[in-house]
Amino acid sequence: MRSDSNARGSNAPAEAAPASPWYPFLRWVARALSVTLVRLDVRGLENVPDSGPCFLIANHQSVLDPILVQGACARPVHSFTKSSQFSSGGFVRWLLLRVNAIPVRRYRVDPQAVRTALRVLERDGVVGIYPEGERSWDGTLQPLRRGTVRLILKAGVPVVPCGVDGSFGAWPRWSRRPSRVRVRVRFGRPLRFARHETRAERNAALDGALEQLNTALARLSGQDAPAHDTRPSAAESLISP
Amino acid sequence: MALTDLCYRCPSCGRDPLDGKGDHAWCGSCGTRIARRRGKLFVSDARHKAHETSASNLVHDIDLHDGFGNGTFRPAPDFLHSARVLVAWRSNERAIRYKGALRGFAETMAPEAPGNIAARRDALSIKTPPAPAGQWSYLELRALQASSSCLHLSLPGDRLVQLRFEVDSPRRWEEMLRALVRDAYRRAGRGAVLEFQPRIEAAAPAPAGRS
Repeated sequence: MRSDSNARGSNAPAEAAPASPWYPFLRWVARALSVTLVRLDVRGLENVPDSGPCFLIANHQSVLDPILVQGACARPVHSFTKSSQFSSGGFVRWLLLRVNAIPVRRYRVDPQAVRTALRVLERDGVVGIYPEGERSWDGTLQPLRRGTVRLILKAGVPVVPCGVDGSFGAWPRWSRRPSRVRVRVRFGRPLRFARHETRAERNAALDGALEQLNTALARLSGQDAPAHDTRPSAAESLISP
Repeated sequence: MALTDLCYRCPSCGRDPLDGKGDHAWCGSCGTRIARRRGKLFVSDARHKAHETSASNLVHDIDLHDGFGNGTFRPAPDFLHSARVLVAWRSNERAIRYKGALRGFAETMAPEAPGNIAARRDALSIKTPPAPAGQWSYLELRALQASSSCLHLSLPGDRLVQLRFEVDSPRRWEEMLRALVRDAYRRAGRGAVLEFQPRIEAAAPAPAGRS
């Protein structure tokens, strides 16, 4: 792994994204872990297309979610993963690359992550995204990232929504201990959005697509759909005049 | 991380901070105890009468109590809160490749140094002695998010700083700084903030004179 001080530039060439030969074995490990760590109930796998490009989007309640979702999905999934996970090096980075993880810099718009995802889709692959951007603190569905929805509108391929219900109870982000509880993973029918070529077109379609994705994820994970930026905060009362 | 990262304030009486360890938290004032057992959360009052609750209920209840850091010493009227942190700045980014193909980039952080973060009404400051404190208005922040046990802030000049709290809750800081950014955008007439990551994005403000 070489250090590249010019890596921040957005002109880096998009390159092929080879499939990992380790993936089938690591998926088997993920499935074994899934049934060991939680009482797993998976439904709707028939909604994942057997072939062709698609997005797989899921809500994010726990560090277990990628293990449960990718373990359940028969097709290899190239999931967006926070880039800081790759910074630690060693086994974690080795593992992430072999489960097809795509590093995403979350504190800036990351054009390289978009390019890699589009290249995976060009090769009829599946791109996995947790559009909330981070695990929920309290298990509720958080507002979806607008950049993710723009990417979906740019690609114009089917979107399979996946609801995870119960993994927060199994292992919330603030706990160090997992609990073996029931977790339901539900794959919904693919949503279809037209391909929008220009940024203006994508922005015009953004709110409608956001609403559809929110509704689908909320329904599949047994929750209420969140509104953008409306959650109450104790700080408001202190700060507002 | 611990339950007190979620519940940094007592949901019953508002005492701040809440004491705790691991999956247990307790209030030294009213005797309320919170515990996670077999994947469920339980709250018990001073008479040890326990009932099951949800994390979202706890968050709702602690938000009912106004303000942040009720017991915090305030050296100035506009001072809101401060905390000891371990500060790490992004030093570089490296290319991540698999079988020769570029997958993306990952940031490299410099070693952590002990420091302090302080929030005032109009600005945020980060100090890592002996270096002088850096100060930024909330309008200058580019992105913010609590990630794992840290808070990440994007600052002008493509700078990224990671703050690891020694005792305080990253959720408290995430919520507080989001509220301060919203307030700053509102006062500056820059519209309502739509999201805070990967960059702070606001809706275009309504044209003046239109109801």
